[in-house]
Amino acid sequence: MRATIHRNRRTTAAVALAAVFALTATACGDDGSAGGGDEGSGKGEITFWDNNGGVRTPVWEKIIAEFEKKNPDIDVTYVPIPITDVQSKYDTAIAGGGLPDVGGVGTAYLANMVAQDALEPVGDRIEGSALKGKLSEQMAESVRSAGGRGDEMYSVPTSANQGTLWYRTDLFEAAGAEPPTSWDRFYEAAEKLTDAKKNEFGFTIRGGAGSVAQALDMMYAQSGIDTFWKGDRTTVNDPKNVEALEKYVGLYKKATPEADLNNDFAKMVAQFTQGDIGMLQHNLGSYTDHVKAFGKDKVEGIPLPPSAEGSPRTIVSNPVDGLGLFKSSKNKTAAWKFIEFAASHEMNSLWNQEAGSIPANTEASGDAWISEVEPVKAAMESLNDPGTKVVQLPYYLPDWNNISKADSEPDFQKLLLGEISAKQFADKLAGALNDAQAEWKQQQ
Amino acid sequence: MTAALAETGDRRTAPPAGTPVTPQAPRRRRRTRAFDEVPRWQIYLPLGLYLLFTLVPFYWMLLFALRPAGSTSLVPWPVTFEHFEKVWNERSFGVFFQNSMLVGLATLVTTTVIALSGGYALARFDFRVKNAFMLALLCSQFIPGALMLVPLFEIFRNLRMINSLESVIIAETVFQLPLSIILISGFIKNVPVSLEEAAWVDGCSRLRAFRAVVLPLLRPGLIAVGSFAFVHSWNHFLFALMFLSEQDKQTIPVGLNTLIGADSVDLGALAAGGVIAAVPVVIVFAFIQKWLITGFSAGAVKG
Repeated sequence: MRATIHRNRRTTAAVALAAVFALTATACGDDGSAGGGDEGSGKGEITFWDNNGGVRTPVWEKIIAEFEKKNPDIDVTYVPIPITDVQSKYDTAIAGGGLPDVGGVGTAYLANMVAQDALEPVGDRIEGSALKGKLSEQMAESVRSAGGRGDEMYSVPTSANQGTLWYRTDLFEAAGAEPPTSWDRFYEAAEKLTDAKKNEFGFTIRGGAGSVAQALDMMYAQSGIDTFWKGDRTTVNDPKNVEALEKYVGLYKKATPEADLNNDFAKMVAQFTQGDIGMLQHNLGSYTDHVKAFGKDKVEGIPLPPSAEGSPRTIVSNPVDGLGLFKSSKNKTAAWKFIEFAASHEMNSLWNQEAGSIPANTEASGDAWISEVEPVKAAMESLNDPGTKVVQLPYYLPDWNNISKADSEPDFQKLLLGEISAKQFADKLAGALNDAQAEWKQQQ
Repeated sequence: MTAALAETGDRRTAPPAGTPVTPQAPRRRRRTRAFDEVPRWQIYLPLGLYLLFTLVPFYWMLLFALRPAGSTSLVPWPVTFEHFEKVWNERSFGVFFQNSMLVGLATLVTTTVIALSGGYALARFDFRVKNAFMLALLCSQFIPGALMLVPLFEIFRNLRMINSLESVIIAETVFQLPLSIILISGFIKNVPVSLEEAAWVDGCSRLRAFRAVVLPLLRPGLIAVGSFAFVHSWNHFLFALMFLSEQDKQTIPVGLNTLIGADSVDLGALAAGGVIAAVPVVIVFAFIQKWLITGFSAGAVKG
């Protein structure tokens, strides 16, 4: 009798366990990611994930309030995602379900999302909307290139950033240095403004997270090489780029604090705003921090100088921010209405004014606030100058982030410490990029 | 025999009443003398340096939190609370704080209660797969939370629990339990079974004996496990980020991360947020450190 009870208990336990496994397994059925979406009625609720949540929350709340006022039958649920983790949040939702209808998508991770079939192509929708012909062609090209699917666009560009050379006008004046409008002036000023004993430095270099992207900005701007690929080989290790890299990293410890070795952008900006440092190379995004720290009259931002006087300026394509429409959306009509509204002249201008970046809507380029923010105006002029050469970085490579960040940033620190040469660094980076490009081409 | 045991320092058997316990005293004196022979600076200098090393980050955090934006002064003067007002009111840290407190306390309670039952079973019962179970508990510590993220996300989504604090509480509890069970079982093993047996003889049920006899003796262990569970869930970022979407459901660690933008950081607000995040943890440790140290040493000796 006792044995029977034991057997029954075992059987019950086994059935219960099997049921748990079965329920768990059936739960894996609907991933909710690719496909399965619907145009919907154009009314009801949509969810929007902000990829720079927190910092941009107030401006998005304004835009959403305006949108809901004009479209009373659509409710937008705003979800702020911290920028540092947005990619993992998207990846989890793609794998596990629960993607939003609309999301902020940067070109740095656009290819990854396109490869996972999470985003709806938006080229045709743009053509049939009020946005037709009103989006910056440079940014549209960056979005096309980053998507890696030919001429198709997988996000509507909303803004772009650009590498900017920030300098302290008060320190330059005191030291009698010329503004860094050429590379010779830049290196001269870096030395002139340095007095390590007094803890004063001419420049702060990015040695930690994001160091390689910034180094590429500096290399191509100095070398004047205007394309990332020559055939199937990258130009990263071109002798001119290697020479420029050598010169750039040569500033470390000579004209920069030693602690720069671990600088990510936050530490680098903090170094600049808290200490006596003459110059900083960062994008337009830190403008508000500089103004808050020094006031408008003591800091200036200019585009990176051309390789030689009279030469065209060479800039590296900075990530373009945009809005993506997700394939899994059950209400694509309403979601598109929201994207169209957010990228419209008035809203795009408002957003970029708050962010201090370059608007994608060309109608916004003539707005009054741009002429008041000198660095944005200068960046926009250089970007829209037909002579400017834009080096398109291969954001479309699935391995781009790994190669340019996880794999190369530790090497960049070795380079700063003098453990490897600029050529060794550039050759290794080029080797990885060439392999990734070959693999990508094979998969096309 | 008693004298011999006393000389060897074995305290298992108490000396008979009236026996002078002389062998213990000289040893204590020797230790004190050795301590006294060390110049004070050799003790206080390393301690002072260590303290300085530990406190400098807190100093920077308080400095940035309390001085006005744009100031480069090394002293937070004039003191301003503008950053605290900003994060608490404008950046919803008041809501995040409430949510974090709820998640932390709920995780503390659920983890402690379940770990008590599991730990008791491991300490008091012999069953066939006990060693394998212990091994499984230990091995589960090697699985990073990030690896379980997608399956957990799917399970919670199918249970319609995404965007609810309960999902975070369950996930936190599940990940805290293995270590908590192992710790609690160590504490319970330290309580002699004879105490429980005496209670049974007096007519107590197993549960009553556990509540009346064992539980009061586990206080240091419970505090150690509970505080670990609270502090860990208070600081944990990943589950809250992935399982919660709406702003009014977010917790402090996620809120802190939203203060770091793509290209700009409001250092004053970030520091003020850091102070708000650190205060409960500091208070918890200030109140429980006495029991915490007792708890760890008790668990460590015979666990």
